[in-house]
Amino acid sequence: MKKFLVTMLSLVLMIGLLTGCVSSNSSSKSGGEDSGKESGKDGKLKIAVVPKLVGIPYFNASEKGAIQAGKDLGVDVIYTGPTEADAAQQVKVIEDLISQKVDVIAVAPNDPAALTPVLKKAKEQGIKVMDWDTPADQSVVELSVHQIDDEAFGRHIAKSLIEKIGSEEGDIAILTGGLSAANLNSWIDGAKKELDENFPKIKLVSDKIATDEKQPVAYQKTLDLIKSNPELKGIMAYSTIAPIGAAQAIQEKGLQDKIAVVGTALPKDSKPFLEDGSLDVGILWEPDKLGYLTVALAKDLADGKKPENGQEVENVGKIEVWEDGKTVIMGPPTDFTAENAGDFNY
Amino acid sequence: MKALSKESILGLIALGLIVVMSVLAPGFLSSQNITNMMFQIPEFGLIALGMMVVIVTGGINLSITYTAALAGVAIALMQSNGYPMLLSILVGIVVGLVCGYINGFIVSKIGVSSILVTLGTMVLFEGIVLSLTKGNSISGFSESYSLIGNGYYMGLVPLSIIIFILFAILTGVLLTKSKWGRSVYMVGSNPIATLFSGVNNSKILMGVYMYSALLASIAAIIMTSRYNMAKVDLGSSYLLQSVAAAVLGGTAIEGGYGKVMGTVYAVVIFQVLSSGLNLLEVPRSIVGVITGAILIFVLIINFAKAKFDEKKQKKMQEANAA
Repeated sequence: MKKFLVTMLSLVLMIGLLTGCVSSNSSSKSGGEDSGKESGKDGKLKIAVVPKLVGIPYFNASEKGAIQAGKDLGVDVIYTGPTEADAAQQVKVIEDLISQKVDVIAVAPNDPAALTPVLKKAKEQGIKVMDWDTPADQSVVELSVHQIDDEAFGRHIAKSLIEKIGSEEGDIAILTGGLSAANLNSWIDGAKKELDENFPKIKLVSDKIATDEKQPVAYQKTLDLIKSNPELKGIMAYSTIAPIGAAQAIQEKGLQDKIAVVGTALPKDSKPFLEDGSLDVGILWEPDKLGYLTVALAKDLADGKKPENGQEVENVGKIEVWEDGKTVIMGPPTDFTAENAGDFNY
Repeated sequence: MKALSKESILGLIALGLIVVMSVLAPGFLSSQNITNMMFQIPEFGLIALGMMVVIVTGGINLSITYTAALAGVAIALMQSNGYPMLLSILVGIVVGLVCGYINGFIVSKIGVSSILVTLGTMVLFEGIVLSLTKGNSISGFSESYSLIGNGYYMGLVPLSIIIFILFAILTGVLLTKSKWGRSVYMVGSNPIATLFSGVNNSKILMGVYMYSALLASIAAIIMTSRYNMAKVDLGSSYLLQSVAAAVLGGTAIEGGYGKVMGTVYAVVIFQVLSSGLNLLEVPRSIVGVITGAILIFVLIINFAKAKFDEKKQKKMQEANAA
C-alpha cells in the first residue's frame, strides 16, 4: 500500500511538473518542420474531400462527382472519410491528410466544434481549408459550399406540396428526421414561412413529428396521423428516410389520390413510390454535382481565385455567392418524379 | 534454448512494420507524421490498457467507451458552466470511478458475469449521456484545457503521449510489482484456487474495474481536449478495437495472462498500419481489411505456438518419466 501511495504521489508530482512546462510551448510548431508545403508536389494539385462517412449512397454519389471533377480539371482528388459518422475518426482522417501534404482539404463535418483544432493545424501547415455539405466553424474555413439555400429549399418544398394538393386550403403535417437536426430545422422554418406568408388557409395539424431517421417509425407515425386526421391533405417529410416511410403508409392504405406526400428523398429509394403516386415528388440536390462543385471550387481556391456570384461552373451550372464572399450555394434543388427517377443511380 | 516471449515477437513485428513503412511510404518518417502518430496513440492506448486489465481477470469491459463518454461529458458540462479546469477534471475522474464502481460492485459482490454487467451498464451510461446532452455535442473548454490533448511538452513531444507513457508504466508496475497486481493474474487464471489461498477476490475485481474506469477517464480527458467537445459517441469506435489490441498484445481472452508491453506494441502496430497505409493512399476500408487479416494471422500464430509448446512439454515430461 505504501509503495502504491509513493507511486501515485510521484505521478502527481510528475504531472504537475509537466503542465508547468507545457503551456508556453503549445502554439510553437513542432521542431524541425521540413520545408513546409512545397514537398510532395509533382505539379498536380492534391485536393482532399472528406465526407461525414464513406459507404452510404449519398456520399458514394458525391464521390463519383468529385473523382470526375478531378479527371476533368487535372487535379489529384483524394476522397476519404471515416467508416462511421464519428467525429474522432474524422479528426484522424484529417490529421492523416495533413501528413500527406495535400493542398486543399474540403470537409463535411460530423461535428463542427470537434474539427476546429485540427483544421487550424491544417491552416498552420499552409493547407487551404473549406467545408462542403455541412458548414464547419466559419472562422477557420475560407470557403463554405452549400448544396442549397436552406430557406429557399424549404419554401420550394412547401410550394410543391401545395401544388400537388391542388388547393390552397386544408390540413397538412410535417415529418422530420430528428428534432435537433440543424439543417432539417432550417428547411422546415423556411417551409413554414412560405405557408404563413402565402398560404394562410393551410393548417398544420400538429407540430413537426420526429421519426428518428428510421423508416418504420416514419411509417407508423404516418399511419397514426391518417387515423387521427381523416381530413389530412398533405405531408411534408424531411430527411431522406422519412418520405419513404410516409409513402409506404400511404401506399398500404391506398390513399395515393387523397394525400399528397412531398419529401427530401433520394431518387433510387423513392422510385417505386413515385411510380404509383404514393410519393408525389422527391426534392433534393444532386450529390454528385455537389462533389464536382466542391473539387472545382477547391482548385480555384488553391489557384487563388475567388468564386463570384452568378459564376458558371462547368457541369454544375450557375452558382450563387453570398455577400461574405465565402458562402457558395450550388443552385436550385432538383425535383425527382416518376419520369426522371430512373435516370439517377443513388 | 530460451525462446522469445510473445511480447518480444510482437515488438519485433512492430519494429519490422515501422522499417517497412519507412521504406515504402513517402514521408512516414517526417516530423509531421511522427507527431501525428504520437497524438493519435494515447487515447486509444489508454482505453486498450483499461480493457487489458479487465481481460486479464477473465472478464471484459464493454462499457469502457461509454464510461469515457460520461466522464468527458461531465468535464465538458462543468467547464462550459464556468467551473475551473482542475475541479472539472477531478469531477470527471470521480464520475468515471463511480461508473467503474458500479461495474465492479455487480461483478464482484453480486457475481453476475462481466459481459452481461458491462453490456447493461454500457446501455445505461449511453442513456445517461444522451439524456444529459440530448445527442448534441458540448464544447466550451478553456484555452489551457485544450493543451492537454493538443499541446507539446518542451515544444517537441505531445503532452498526451507522455501522459500515456506514465500510465503505461504505472499499469505495468502495479500489475507486476504490487500485491494487488499479482492477485489480478491469480484471479484470472484460477479464481477458486485464489480464493482458497486467502485472497479476497471481490476486492481485487473491484480494483480492476475501478482502475479500468480510471484509465477510461484519463482517455476521456485527452479526447475531449483534443476534439474540443464531448459527445455520446466519444471514442465509441475504440470499444472493439481495444479488445483487438489487448488480444493482439498477447492477453489471454480467458484470463490469467497479459502484459502492458504487449498491449502497447499492439497499439503501436495498429497506429503504424493506419498511418502508413494512409500515406500510401490505401482506402480506409482496405485498411480495415488489412488490420483484420493481420490480427487473425497473429492470433493463429500465437495459438499454434502455444499448442506446439504444450506438445514439447508433454514430450519432455514423458522423456523424464521414462
